[in-house]
Amino acid sequence: MEINIFLQNFADILDDTDAILIKQETVFRDLEEWDSLTALSLIAMADEEYSVKLTGDDIKSSTSLNDIFEIIKNKA
Amino acid sequence: MITLKDKNILVTGASSGIGRQIAIMASELGATVTIVGRNMERLGETISLLTGTGHKMYSIDLSVSSDIDQLITESLPYDGVVFNAGIVEYLPVKFLNDNKISSVFVTNFDSNVILSQKLIKKKLLNKKGSLVFVSSISSKLGVPGTAMYAASKAALSSFSKVLASELASQGIRSNSVCPGIIRTAMTEQASDVVSQEELKKAESEYPLGYGEPSDVGGLIMYLLSDMSKWMTGSDLIIDGGFTLK
Repeated sequence: MEINIFLQNFADILDDTDAILIKQETVFRDLEEWDSLTALSLIAMADEEYSVKLTGDDIKSSTSLNDIFEIIKNKA
Repeated sequence: MITLKDKNILVTGASSGIGRQIAIMASELGATVTIVGRNMERLGETISLLTGTGHKMYSIDLSVSSDIDQLITESLPYDGVVFNAGIVEYLPVKFLNDNKISSVFVTNFDSNVILSQKLIKKKLLNKKGSLVFVSSISSKLGVPGTAMYAASKAALSSFSKVLASELASQGIRSNSVCPGIIRTAMTEQASDVVSQEELKKAESEYPLGYGEPSDVGGLIMYLLSDMSKWMTGSDLIIDGGFTLK
């Protein structure tokens, strides 16, 4: 599993955010576009791309995109 | 006084949650109950909680045509049927595909429609019978991520209305109920996609808090009983005041 591909997948679920802002250390919750639907999209993307069931609490306990990446990696 | 004495009632999705509670309450009010669900073990737990004797259980999958046929073949005419089986799926529209659409619609809509059709065709509904479809408040809202669930429940509510017209001449009634959030294993599933904290915060949007299965059960007992004999084609919201906001 590669972090760069994960970041690309995450950037793909967004519609109004410049992909340049999507980095390992990005605090996803601070993105202007982040809302409950983005969270659902992240869960759906983890399922579709990595066959991983990400939970609401997984997202809640994460700060950066790298945190999310690590959780997905551990569950994959 | 609501009574279901001498009534033969069928409840689908009875292995847990609202369905289990409906079966329990109907038996307490004197009905003979046939329960249907996919999980044999949990269905057995439900039947052990019923009052009185003569109850039956079928561990079958209503999305399988031969399973419905088995139930139909062994059924005696019913005075009431509660179409409660359903699943929930949280998915943004962007992530929908054929499989996701049909998995929700087959369980929440198609199976219920086919079961009601077969009951009617085989004359397994008594005159003055009552059909109750468990829809959802989601069918009237636009909560992100609930597109397929909401659409399948809206379809069910509409189906119930047409059925009410078609069956009125036989004195058979059909109504649907639209519960808000009820504490069950299925709504616990929401914690897969939202955090416990968010779920708690959402409860503050309910003037009377989240509901219990028996809150919906009470309304359904009324609909199954002869006390509601003038009510048909209604789509009833029961949501602890959520839609007041």
